[in-house]
Amino acid sequence: MLAQQLLNGLVVSGVYALFSLGFTLVFGIQRILNLAHGAIFMTGAMVAYYTVSAGGPLWLGFVLAILASGILSVIVELVCFRRLRKTGDEEFGGIISSIGAGLVITTIAQQVSSTQILRFPFETFPVVIYRFWGLRVSMLQLFMAGAAIVLVLVLGYFIYRTSFGRRVRAVTDNEHASMLMGINPNMIYAQTYFVAGALAGAAGVLVGLAFNSISFVMGEPYLMFAFAIIILGGLGSIPGALLASLVFGMVQTLTIAYLPSGLTDTIIFAALFLILLVRPNGILGKDDAGSLRGRR
Amino acid sequence: MSGFIAGYIPLLDLYLIHLGLAFSQYIVLRAGVFSLATAALAGIGAYTAGIFAVKLGMHPVLGVLAGTVMGMAAAIVLSIPLARLRGVYQAIATVAFIQIFVSLNIYAEPITGGALGLNGIPKTVGTGILAIAAIAATYVIWAVERGRLGRAFNAIRQDEAVAASLGISIVRHQMLAFALSGALAGLFGALEAYHAYALDPNQFGFHLLITVLSYVILGGRNSVIGPVVGTAILIILPELARFLAEYRMVIYGAMLIIVINYMPKGIADTVRDAVRAGRLKRRGEDPA
Repeated sequence: MLAQQLLNGLVVSGVYALFSLGFTLVFGIQRILNLAHGAIFMTGAMVAYYTVSAGGPLWLGFVLAILASGILSVIVELVCFRRLRKTGDEEFGGIISSIGAGLVITTIAQQVSSTQILRFPFETFPVVIYRFWGLRVSMLQLFMAGAAIVLVLVLGYFIYRTSFGRRVRAVTDNEHASMLMGINPNMIYAQTYFVAGALAGAAGVLVGLAFNSISFVMGEPYLMFAFAIIILGGLGSIPGALLASLVFGMVQTLTIAYLPSGLTDTIIFAALFLILLVRPNGILGKDDAGSLRGRR
Repeated sequence: MSGFIAGYIPLLDLYLIHLGLAFSQYIVLRAGVFSLATAALAGIGAYTAGIFAVKLGMHPVLGVLAGTVMGMAAAIVLSIPLARLRGVYQAIATVAFIQIFVSLNIYAEPITGGALGLNGIPKTVGTGILAIAAIAATYVIWAVERGRLGRAFNAIRQDEAVAASLGISIVRHQMLAFALSGALAGLFGALEAYHAYALDPNQFGFHLLITVLSYVILGGRNSVIGPVVGTAILIILPELARFLAEYRMVIYGAMLIIVINYMPKGIADTVRDAVRAGRLKRRGEDPA
C-alpha cells in the first residue's frame, strides 16, 4: 500500500515539476511572480482537448498545446511585463499585471468552453494497466512520468550545457553585466518565457489526461501548489524546484492517503507559512529574500 | 422614480461594503507592506459575526463588535511573522494565510457549516448602517493620512532605511497599519454577514483578494480618493457594459494591465496630480 502511494506520488511530482520549473525560471530571471502561469497551463490542456475532439491525433494535440502555451507566455511577457521593467516597478506591478492577464485568459477560456468540464473522448489514451510486485501502474502514469523526466532532462541540458543556457544564467545573475557582455536581455526573456509556458502547457495536457477533466479554473490550485513548491525549493532555483516538487508530490499523496482528507490543504499551506518564517530562501535558494538589490 | 432608485440599492450596498474592504487593503499597502490578507481577515470577521448570530443567538451589535475585534486580533498576530519578510515573500505568505483560512473553514464543519456555508443569519443591516460605517471608515483613513501617522507611513513606504534613521519604528507602524486593516476588514466582513443572510467560505478566497486589490490599484494607492473612485468604477462599469456581461472579467483584467502599465499611480491620483500641475502652471504664467 505504501509503495503504491509512493509510486503515485512520484507521478504527481513529475507534473508539479513541469509546472513549477517554468514558474521559478521566470522568477529567477526577472524577479516577477507570473500569476498568469496557471492560465497558461490551462490553455495547454484546452488546446490539446480541442485538437483531439476535432479529430486530430493525441501527439498533435500535445505538440500544439506546447507551442500555443509557449507563444501565449511570450505574449504575456510582452504585454504585461516589458514596460513595467523599464519603470522598475516589476515586483509589485508584475503581480497585478499578471493577475489581469490570468483573468483575461481564463474568461476567454470560460466562454470558449461554455463553463463546462471537458472530457477527452473514451480511449484517447489507451487504458492499459500493468501489475508487478503487487503494484498497479497504468500506461498513462508511465507516460506521464516518462514525459516529465524527458522534458526536465531537456531543460537541464539547455540551461546547463548550451550557450543559450549560459546567457539565461548570466541574465539571471546580473542583467546589467550581461548587457555589457553583448547579451540582449529582451531576447533572453522572450525565450525563457517560451520555455516556461511550453513546460506549463505540457503539464496541462498530462493533468488533463490523468484526471480526464479540463475546465477553465483548473490552473488555480496548481498555481497555489506552485507557490508552496518554489518557496520550499528557494525562489528562482531550478534544482530546488525539482527537489521541492518531489517532496511536495510525495507529502501531498501521503497526506491524502493517510490523514483526514479535508486537512490536506491546511497542512500544505501551514507548512508553506512555516518555511517562509524559518527559512524564507528555501532549501536551495540564494540568500537574498526577494530583494532587487545587487541586480541593478 | 423610487423604483428606479430601489433597483440600484443592492449595487449601492455592495459598493459600501467593498469600499470598506478596499480601505483595509489600502492602508497596509500605504504602510509599505505587500499584504493581501484582507480577504481572509474579512472572512474571519464575517464568520465570527455569523457564528455569534446563528449558534449563540447574540445581539447583532455584539456580533459586529466581535467580528471587528477578531479581525484586528488576527491581523496583529499575522503582522508579527510578516515583519520578518519583504515584498513578494509577504504576498505569498498572505496568500497562504487565505488558503489556510478557506481550507480550515471547510474542514471545521460543525462550527462554520463547512462547504455548504453558514445559513440563516438574520438580516439586520441595511443601507443606512452600511453608509454610516463606510463614511466613518473614510473619515478614519482620511484622518490617519493627514496626521503624523500618514507621514510616517509615507516615509516607511518610500525608504525604510531613511524612516528608521528618522526614529520611526517600522515594525510598530506596520503593526498599527495591520491592526487598522484587520479592524476594517473584520467590521465590513461582519456587516456583510448581517446583510447577506448566508456566508460561503469560497466567498473569502482568492477571488475576493483580486477584486479588492483591483479597486486600490485602479483608483490609486496614495490618497483616500483612490479606493473611493476605484471601487466605484469597478462596480458601476459592469452595469454600464451589460451587453458585454459574459466578457466582464476580460475588461476587468485588461483594465488592470493597462492601469498598472500606463497609469501606475491609479486613475484618481493621476487625475489629481494633473489638476495640481495645471494649477501650478497657470499660477506661474500669471504672477498676480
